[in-house]
Amino acid sequence: MNVLSLFNAMPGAVAQGLIWGIMAIGVYITYKVLDVADLSVDGTMCTGGAVCIVMLSNGHSMWLSLLVATIAGMIAGLVTGIFHTAMGIPAILSGILTQLGLYSINLKIMGKANIPINNQKYNLMVSLLNVRDVPFYKNTILIVALCMVILIACLYWFFGTELGCSLRATGCNENMSRAQGINTDLNKVLGLMLSNAIVAFSSALLAQYQGFADINMGRGAIVIGLAAVIIGGVVFSKIFHNFALKLLSVGIGAVIYYVVLQIVIWLGFDTDLLKLLSALVVAIFLSLPYLKKRYFTKASNVAAKGGK
Amino acid sequence: MKKKLAVLLAAVMCLSLAACGGSGKAEGNKVYNVGICQLVEHVALDAATKGFEDALKEKLGDNVKFDEQNAQGDSATAATIVNQFVAANTDLILANATAPLQAAAAGTTTIPVLGTSITDYASALDIDNWNGTTGRNISGTSDLAPLKDQAAMLNELFPDSVNVGVLYCSAEANSQYQADVIKAELEALGKTVTFFTFVDTNDVQTVCQNAADNSDVIYVPTDNAVASNTAIIDGVCRPAGVPVIAGEEGICTGCGVATLSISYYDLGYTTGLMAYEVLVNGADVSTMEVKYAPNVTKEYNKEICEALNITVPADYKAIGE
Repeated sequence: MNVLSLFNAMPGAVAQGLIWGIMAIGVYITYKVLDVADLSVDGTMCTGGAVCIVMLSNGHSMWLSLLVATIAGMIAGLVTGIFHTAMGIPAILSGILTQLGLYSINLKIMGKANIPINNQKYNLMVSLLNVRDVPFYKNTILIVALCMVILIACLYWFFGTELGCSLRATGCNENMSRAQGINTDLNKVLGLMLSNAIVAFSSALLAQYQGFADINMGRGAIVIGLAAVIIGGVVFSKIFHNFALKLLSVGIGAVIYYVVLQIVIWLGFDTDLLKLLSALVVAIFLSLPYLKKRYFTKASNVAAKGGK
Repeated sequence: MKKKLAVLLAAVMCLSLAACGGSGKAEGNKVYNVGICQLVEHVALDAATKGFEDALKEKLGDNVKFDEQNAQGDSATAATIVNQFVAANTDLILANATAPLQAAAAGTTTIPVLGTSITDYASALDIDNWNGTTGRNISGTSDLAPLKDQAAMLNELFPDSVNVGVLYCSAEANSQYQADVIKAELEALGKTVTFFTFVDTNDVQTVCQNAADNSDVIYVPTDNAVASNTAIIDGVCRPAGVPVIAGEEGICTGCGVATLSISYYDLGYTTGLMAYEVLVNGADVSTMEVKYAPNVTKEYNKEICEALNITVPADYKAIGE
């Protein structure tokens, strides 16, 4: 085991982390801004990749493929939104229903469980191959980072508009927003669509990066997304207050998650325990703010006094 | 207090990192580092990995080191593992199952990659005009069951059957391909073939019941979802009196009457010998032909055959005897 190989592995971990970071920004919009836990992303995380790879292998251009993949995610979000608002199904159940339905839809989109994309045959935007020893403008890390910055800029602008503000208000206090004449149902649907579109875009990048789309690729995506949101929040909450910076911290959270995962694999940790580890990391970071407030605020004051 | 703890933790971490860095330097004979990425824990895949390691250990003794990683069925983790192997500049990567192979193909064009337990390299790697070699840094072994022989076997045991149902999971990468091939083979023998597919294990019983009601014989390919649900399939098909021909031995033990079986251990072993050629003799992996299972055996499940009153020809071997 040598440290150099871990160091060499970092570009790959960072690239993968950035791709999931885009996905985590999607999760942030539902989980933090809209205050809804949307589980449909487990399905959308495959849909985007499936659509993109199928389109690319049928000879469509990269931009069109990415666009259609994003729109497919948007439609998935619309379905969840309709389940939740127009049909009155609780948000968490709506997400689960969409995710379940998407499993079949994803199979139909791909026609089989797994479709490859040959990175020698197609000019892919990002690839695991392009993380080191390539000209910098072809480097996956740079391209994904650029995508993320543009996305954050667009979202920053959007959430500053009247519509974006009403969306944020809906998440903050639904009853108050309705009293102000905001159509909260419409805003929820809009938020879910926006979130799933971003997730599908990230999925399209991920499928290209790893060289295939697979029916199981979205499994557990929500946990990774939440982990990124929470890790980013805990690590940067003291420094980043601006909304754009908060989105950025989510992206960095995903990078931290993948760097940790890479270290765990480098250490030769028993991979049977990976899922348990992920669950524990998320549980610890989720409970940290609560535990801090509940047990450490008073205790540390007492300790400080006692110490002096 | 908290600060002290944090400093202590950081110090411990630094020390352990330094300790790791010190070890692992090999002197003397060249030690080959082989990275193994297996998709998921599974009897067949485990056997292939074991066969691979045994072959290389026999040839190279202590001069080979394995870094065995399991992606736990998570395709994104396969990419992370491959990234680690590429960064460590391993001498060879063994990709056990389809998703790791695809991740390895996306991850490196220089490190030799051998696949095993892969059914069809052309469809896994998106290669047109398949001619037996991949033409890039990839070769390996295929677990494609001898489908033509299996179709012939089905006809030999049940010459009067007309309707054959093919039962498999549509969310499995390799099953669709096998189903399509066996359909063509069986139709050439004059059978009517119907597909019965389920998308996850919760639907197995219902779909299987439907298959049993509408078929004289059922064929199941080497399908992971079927492999883990043989008890349900047996529970439906045996009372219905419908025999099942299985794609491999493990499934046949659980619910089939007979199979033409390949050994995943042998398959892994063959892959190990290929690895030796690449590592030591400098064989060019891009021109190595993809190899198939070295030998197949006709096997039958004694218990189920007796229950269904089926007598098998003398050249069949009872499983487990």
